Amino acid sequence: MNKSELSNLMVKIRDDRDEIAFSMLFDFIAPKLKAYFLQNRLSNENAEELTQEVLSIVWSKSSQYDHSKSAASTWIYTIARNKKIDLLRKKANKNTSADDIREFLYLGNQSDKINLSEISDQISKINQELSKDQREIIKMNFFDNKSHKKIAEELEIPLGTVKSRIRHILIKMQRLL
Amino acid sequence: MNGTLVKNQLIFDFASGSLGPAKSIFASTYLYLNAKASSLNRTFEGMLGDTLFESKGSPVVNFNYKDCLVNRDIEISSKSDFSSPISKIVGPLEDINWKQVYNGLSEFSPDINDNDELKLIKMDPGSSVPLHSHGGKEYILVLNGSFCDEYGKYKTGDIQINDQKIKHTPIACKNEGCVCLTITEKDVIFFGKYGSFLNLFTFIKSFFK
Repeated sequence: MNKSELSNLMVKIRDDRDEIAFSMLFDFIAPKLKAYFLQNRLSNENAEELTQEVLSIVWSKSSQYDHSKSAASTWIYTIARNKKIDLLRKKANKNTSADDIREFLYLGNQSDKINLSEISDQISKINQELSKDQREIIKMNFFDNKSHKKIAEELEIPLGTVKSRIRHILIKMQRLL
Repeated sequence: MNGTLVKNQLIFDFASGSLGPAKSIFASTYLYLNAKASSLNRTFEGMLGDTLFESKGSPVVNFNYKDCLVNRDIEISSKSDFSSPISKIVGPLEDINWKQVYNGLSEFSPDINDNDELKLIKMDPGSSVPLHSHGGKEYILVLNGSFCDEYGKYKTGDIQINDQKIKHTPIACKNEGCVCLTITEKDVIFFGKYGSFLNLFTFIKSFFK
């Protein structure tokens, strides 16, 4: 499956309440969502619960998906990220009321005029410029949310090197944005 | 670290969901007010969405797609009654019960359970905050009006992030004053004529937090 096929399934789910389309989307993305939660150090039980929760939101709130603003994978990612934040805050007994705020942001900001093709162009420009190793560090730092110390251990490089590599990547991206 | 880099780091941390409650509110208000920051956030979220798309999966065993076909109450926020994410928490800015700190400067601390301190600061037109620096990082976002300091002019939607090395004297715009959202990681340190008095005041105040 490619990214636009996934977005097309999402449009069918939104417009036609198509259960077959949903089952195909589920088969593709559910295991990836579970792996995301596991990488973010949640238990197997929590990872399964959150995956079910995210996909229930994908089904019930599909009317909020705007295919001109974001790829389905990005929209689903933001829901998963927010569910992870809520669970971690609940565990730490922290304020969870920020949910509405984050939800608003992906409903579409009026001051945000940039369209999906411009975003995609920027991302492919960044991907061309970053090496495979640099993309892996981005994944470990910002997707798996691993600490710099943990990244250093896994890659068997000094902590200072991890910090300077991340800084270098951000500077490189900054030039492209 | 240069200013743009620190801002980008804040936005990337927001996109990755690693900010605490106070910084998360701060960052979402920033994205709401600043179109450039908002499109940057969408680029970072897009990169992370692609990472999800390309990642390896782990089999789901306890449920299948039918368990997700639930129709919940769908609540869609109406854009028209939405002024900014911070207003969602503290209500309209004009109704805030400000506490005067000293002449021309008032503040309000929303009740957020976090180690970072989130504060709203109101500076009357032309008023200034005495020269100070910071024990930790300070984040300032202009919600209304504008202020100037040694480093430039900051208007609605602009952000300033200061580390320990920066000493500055913010002055509110003469016509309209300024309302800012701030995060301080540690207390500020004042200099100048009233510096020691203000530091003592901050020290005493810390007992009542």
